Amino acid sequence: MRSICISVSAVRSSKMDSEEAPAQRPVTLEITVEDATAEAPGPDPPKLTISQTPLRENLLPQVESIDLGGEFSTPQEDSSATPSESLMDKLNDQMMESVLISDSPNNSEEEDDDDDVAPMDSFLDAVEEEDHFHETSVDKEEQGEIGQNTTEIEVTVEEQEKDSSVEKVDEETREQTDTEEQVISCVSLQVDEHSPSDPNSGEPSLLEAQETKDYSVPVCTIFSHGTHPKSLVPDGFQPTLIKSPSFSMGSGVETSEAVTPSKLMAPLVCQPSPSLSKFFNDNGHVNPASDFFDSFTVPSSFISVSNPNADIPPGATPASIAPTPERQLSSTSSSISNPGGALDSGAPTPSSVFAPSESTTKAQPPPSQEAPAQAPAPAPQPQPFNTLQAVFSGSDDPFATALSLSEVDRRHDSWLPSEETRKLLISVATQQYSPAYVETTRLTMPGLKFDNLQGDAVKDLMLRFLGEAAAMKRQVLTANSVEQSFTGLKRLISSKNWRAAVDLTGRLLTAHGQGYGKAGQQSSHTTDSLQLWFVRLSLLTKLNLFQNAELEIEPFGNLDQPDLFYEYYPTVYPGRRGSMVPFSMRLLHAELPQYLAKPQEALDRLHNLKTVCLAILENLEKGLAEDGSMITLTQENRQGSLKLWRSRLSRVMYSMANCLLLMKDYVLAVETYHSIIQYEPQQRVQLLSGIGRIFLQIGDVKTAERYFQDVEKACQMTGSQPSHTTCVLMNRAFVSLSQNNYTEAHASFTEVLKMDPKNPVANNNAAVCLLYLGCLKESLGQLEGLVQQDPALYLHESVLFNLTTMYELESSRSTQKKQALLEAVACREGDSFNTQCLKLV
Amino acid sequence: MDVSQAKQEHLLALKVMRLTKPTLFTNLPVTCEDRDLPGDLFDQLMREDPSTIKGAEALMLGEMLTLPQNFGNIFLGETFSSYISVHNDSIQVVKDILVKADLQTSSQRLNLSASNSAVAELKPESCIDDVIHHEVKEIGTHILVCAVSYTTQYGEKLYFRKFFKFQVLKPLDVKTKFYNAETDEVFLEAQIQNITTSPMFMEKVSLEPSMMYNVTELNTVAGGDEGESTFGKMSYLQPMDTRQYLYCLKPKPEYAEKAGVIKGVTVIGKLDIVWKTNLGERGRLQTSQLQRMAPGYGDIRLSLEMIPDTVNLEEPFDIICKITNCSERTMDLELEMMNTRSIHWCGVSGRQLGKLSPGAFLSLPLILLSSVQGLQSISGLRLTDTFLKRTYEYDDIAQVCVVCPYTNNEC
Repeated sequence: MRSICISVSAVRSSKMDSEEAPAQRPVTLEITVEDATAEAPGPDPPKLTISQTPLRENLLPQVESIDLGGEFSTPQEDSSATPSESLMDKLNDQMMESVLISDSPNNSEEEDDDDDVAPMDSFLDAVEEEDHFHETSVDKEEQGEIGQNTTEIEVTVEEQEKDSSVEKVDEETREQTDTEEQVISCVSLQVDEHSPSDPNSGEPSLLEAQETKDYSVPVCTIFSHGTHPKSLVPDGFQPTLIKSPSFSMGSGVETSEAVTPSKLMAPLVCQPSPSLSKFFNDNGHVNPASDFFDSFTVPSSFISVSNPNADIPPGATPASIAPTPERQLSSTSSSISNPGGALDSGAPTPSSVFAPSESTTKAQPPPSQEAPAQAPAPAPQPQPFNTLQAVFSGSDDPFATALSLSEVDRRHDSWLPSEETRKLLISVATQQYSPAYVETTRLTMPGLKFDNLQGDAVKDLMLRFLGEAAAMKRQVLTANSVEQSFTGLKRLISSKNWRAAVDLTGRLLTAHGQGYGKAGQQSSHTTDSLQLWFVRLSLLTKLNLFQNAELEIEPFGNLDQPDLFYEYYPTVYPGRRGSMVPFSMRLLHAELPQYLAKPQEALDRLHNLKTVCLAILENLEKGLAEDGSMITLTQENRQGSLKLWRSRLSRVMYSMANCLLLMKDYVLAVETYHSIIQYEPQQRVQLLSGIGRIFLQIGDVKTAERYFQDVEKACQMTGSQPSHTTCVLMNRAFVSLSQNNYTEAHASFTEVLKMDPKNPVANNNAAVCLLYLGCLKESLGQLEGLVQQDPALYLHESVLFNLTTMYELESSRSTQKKQALLEAVACREGDSFNTQCLKLV
Repeated sequence: MDVSQAKQEHLLALKVMRLTKPTLFTNLPVTCEDRDLPGDLFDQLMREDPSTIKGAEALMLGEMLTLPQNFGNIFLGETFSSYISVHNDSIQVVKDILVKADLQTSSQRLNLSASNSAVAELKPESCIDDVIHHEVKEIGTHILVCAVSYTTQYGEKLYFRKFFKFQVLKPLDVKTKFYNAETDEVFLEAQIQNITTSPMFMEKVSLEPSMMYNVTELNTVAGGDEGESTFGKMSYLQPMDTRQYLYCLKPKPEYAEKAGVIKGVTVIGKLDIVWKTNLGERGRLQTSQLQRMAPGYGDIRLSLEMIPDTVNLEEPFDIICKITNCSERTMDLELEMMNTRSIHWCGVSGRQLGKLSPGAFLSLPLILLSSVQGLQSISGLRLTDTFLKRTYEYDDIAQVCVVCPYTNNEC
């Protein structure tokens, strides 16, 4: 095989030959682009290459590498670039408009350099030439002569093009790298900055004080008498029961064995239920955050039902009773908090009734010398407990199960952990194994990885461009201005203040003992804490803060640790089984790597999820419960479960398809999207249209049209719904667009608007088509009108991006117009607004 | 410095934007279930988001079009489109505006403006728009030169221009390989590699044969009416992927008759490649004429017109040889047949074949038998040109499989 260079321009190919040993290039074929118009002025350069025929005698090689661009130099070569060049580049750059020139640096890497070993002296010559080139071009501009120097330019361009292309690319690479560095540094700022002004930092001392006070409280002997599993804690382990947020900041941490779930003790904390909204500002009340933790979850009223049952078994020792009051307590408190949804009502809850007696237990720091004495005691105990626990875990006792397990809980929380975790959970449930013995490596120990406030980029921009006065007018909800509860969190989310919401989740998690720097330290999990993590990670993902999300989800491992399952906490969640981690969080966990350039890992995780979903569906179809146990489900129940798990499966499939699309594996992506239709037949039209758009993206217009035809058939089958007609018209518009027929595309989008004048997509797309038709003003007018009339719909990233791009194209005063947009954004949008689309910076 | 100052003095502003195809906005679905803390909130937010697909919010690829965000890459064979906008930034009416857009390549300068006539006047805040298109036919540095001349209301004639430099890159790497078949057919294998950074849909890769050949494309698997592509259902090429196309070229009968004529370097044809990328962005390239060195046959070419593939042991079988005079002179030929260990020629050796003029051929039926089983090579033909006393040896002309017809019965 011999490599033959096909050069495109005759001038250059002859030059190359003169520079190189002819033997290396036996034949020069040229690739010509067919000249459709056939009216190219001047001599047709490619024809000139016939001059290379002397070497035809050698034309024995059977393989010819047709190198379309052998002339490109590689970035390495520009190491010899002289300083003067870069100076000239700067000059040159001033003439360039940033809109136009931004070659991707990657491409320079693709060009092969084998045949570009130009002699050094010619290289230097070229450098000189280039300087000359720049001078002339600048001169020309100053002189203001039209086209007189054309020939001069031609010559110089030819001779220096190799080098200029190199340095151009290189320079851009450098620029790109610079910006990348900036981006990285921004991220690291966010991650690493441990702001000393952390609002929590003031707390420890107070908390410590509080804690020492607690230590002085007499110890309640119910627990320390060791019948409860947690008293199996061996030497040196101190049962730190109070997971009330702030406590862990103090000395409680050193004991570090938070074996007992905070849930256990939380309700026992007696506080005259302070106003939660004040809580974080008012260090006088330290505990109530733990109250708050009961507010959301444990909505399952079944606990109070199950408890009497649990107590019934004869031979129940005092130990077995021990958990009871708490459970009742928690259930009562939760039932009260449920209706309101938040605890900030301030009304004393019934829990306070129990408080005086129970509050002693919470402190319960057994003197260390007592521990060994207690240790042997529990050994004979398990017997009665087993019988008791059998009630909770007893899948073979349908009655008890029915009582203790809410159907909905079971349906949603079902999960199939790994074999190892499953065994451990069974042994915990049957009291053969105390959670205390679980190696710490098998535990989940999350904590916030950054605690700086997220801020408000819109306000920052206003400060910079509109001045302090304008910025002061910006009113958004912050973590401080809402209730420090789930209600407040929801308010922040729905008002699109996701950054503030992230801050608030941070506070709430800190209150739970999983705050900043707590990663790697033991803490317990509750339904609430995991929901908080889920919300926090979702919001980080929504805000495109993927690195942060990854850092924080990392301690959760693969979400298979035993302490993420309800069975691990038989006392806090008696009888409850399954995954404490919400399914949506598993999905998020699986999706996350794809945004961090690790799509393979995401696919692996998604496939795991899919496997579990399929296994659960199989169990259900076989007449078993979700986890494969032999529970008889009512028909209604089973249908409910099947429906839920089918929808979960289809959601996983969506994620897989999306991930494959990101990976540009179009074959599998299309296949996967197609397979979703069987689970979500009502989404047939949308899915087929989506597949069609994928084909358009690749450039395969014909196949796309086939899919769009299928869409039209599907629409006819289901009768004429307006949404379907819209969909058909949109698809037609996209096909026209792909055929370069912008007029037709614009007409189709306009037709959609006749039926649905408020359709934001059609409006935006019609405006985009107008630009391609050369009607900048009309396009701009349309988009501007939309944003003014209906900001709720059109203050969207994509629309604003288009609008600002057109501003830049339209006039030199784009910055003022963008600032006007910023003001519009400032009065409507929350802090999660992506300011990049305004292109102000 | 001078340049930028000069820029600000002008009443008109020139802006240029490359119009690559718009892209479809992708959204980032984050969902939760009703029982989760945010309840319906996330789903509601996604439903309200105008860029999501209603009814299928988890579908990432939306319908919202966004304008190109940067210049991107431009490849040989693609069309360079650009929006040129001249905007009157001043508060006075400007007259006689002439906008001229030229593209300077390494070899030529092309005028791309749609019209070359001047615009009579331009009011403040209005603009002159032009969308230019150019199919890129050269690789390397291109400079878009935009020149604007105008007259102010005070009659002052002003002129400025701007340069926009960009690189045209090579999109494909094409390698070809020829295989010569015994029967004058030529097989062309073309390896096409996508050396861009985006997937490429190969709309058409065809071989336009030169006048001497007919071409058959061998890139579909027979079956059905249309035949399935050998590349599977999806005809796109990922970055750095290579694909092999195979073509069979048969000389047209009028040229095949004069087999001796096809000699030396022949022009086979050229490859015509059409591809598409994002939303139908189209590109087209043709290779130059592909050339092949026809295999040299010397003065006399001996080929086989008929030969059985399997023969019985010790049974005579027929072959037909074709002898073509590829030389420039008339030959007088004598045929000699030499037996080998396994192949035996039947008939008289040393017979005269008569005169053969240049380019003429004769068909020669011969009879052989094999005494050994297995795959046997036919060798031992000698042709002697009695004019020049030159002998041409033909060994390993072909192979036949020799089998024993009695195996089953006798064993």
